[in-house]
Amino acid sequence: MIVCVAVVGHQNNPLYLQSFTGSDDALKLHHIVHCSLDVIDERVNNPKRSASTLNETFLGLLYPTENYKVYGYLTNTKVKFIMVTTDLDVKDADVRSYFRKFHAAYVDAVCNPFHVPGKKITSNSFSERVGTIVRSFGPSMTL
Amino acid sequence: MIGVGKPKQYGNVLDKPLSRGRQEVSLSAFAFLFSELVQYNQTQVDNIAELERRLEDAGYAVGARVLELLCHRDKGNRRETRLLGILSFIHSTVWKVLFGKVADSLEKGTEHEDEYMISEKELLVNRFISVPKDMGAFNCGAFVAGIVRGVLDGAGFPAVVTAHFVPIEGQQRPRTTILIKFAEEVLRREARLG
Repeated sequence: MIVCVAVVGHQNNPLYLQSFTGSDDALKLHHIVHCSLDVIDERVNNPKRSASTLNETFLGLLYPTENYKVYGYLTNTKVKFIMVTTDLDVKDADVRSYFRKFHAAYVDAVCNPFHVPGKKITSNSFSERVGTIVRSFGPSMTL
Repeated sequence: MIGVGKPKQYGNVLDKPLSRGRQEVSLSAFAFLFSELVQYNQTQVDNIAELERRLEDAGYAVGARVLELLCHRDKGNRRETRLLGILSFIHSTVWKVLFGKVADSLEKGTEHEDEYMISEKELLVNRFISVPKDMGAFNCGAFVAGIVRGVLDGAGFPAVVTAHFVPIEGQQRPRTTILIKFAEEVLRREARLG
């Protein structure tokens, strides 16, 4: 179950932050998202393997905390998508297809001529689409 | 893709094909809209440089969005980190999506290390525009230069992009060249990446 999604701009400024559990956990989830930004920076600037993984968009599992897993995805414009989930046995393919749908929703939100790049995403239809994508995340997902 | 044509009329909406259809906008619609954009900006400014800057800013917004869209649609999982990679991406993919064909040529400048040029015999946006003599070297291709600058900036390659007319002997209309001058940090990073 996804508990939090976030979109962070290329200067690490938050563009969209949404949590899907009760509000008492929201602050902790925001903090987890913030910490995972450091992990992303470290992955991007110091590639562990050869140059072939230098420009992959899907960053994979960033770090596991006590009962959450955090996944990251980096777009071509250095905009980062972060997803926090409580599932223990989530498959890689599921996460990749989730990020693909999320990227599609993000591109549509950015193509809005009234959206200023660098400002927060305020579109209601984007929030609804994200809600739908998050609700349909799970092992039964087909694309 | 910008092309010439009238969309086919269907008597019954159930007869329309289920496919995504041709992704085309009529050239005349775009030409009218672009000419209106230029005219509107002309009333707001006092001099040529300001007009060019406004067109470029309009193109910048387009370029940023085009980059997001194309990276999601075409590029799969890759992210461009090399200079030549992003230049050939602009020269083929971006040009193909915007103008329906790849750009005519991509060259490296000879005088300076950080200059590259994309040339086009006739920019699509300039096709129905003729610039009056008293406007000097003004080129509505500043809009396209803005698009290129938006794409480069979004991808992390800050650059100064301008559009110029280059007269060619034997042809009446001069060729248009988009001159891309990369910032210092891009060259340093490129040298470091080897």
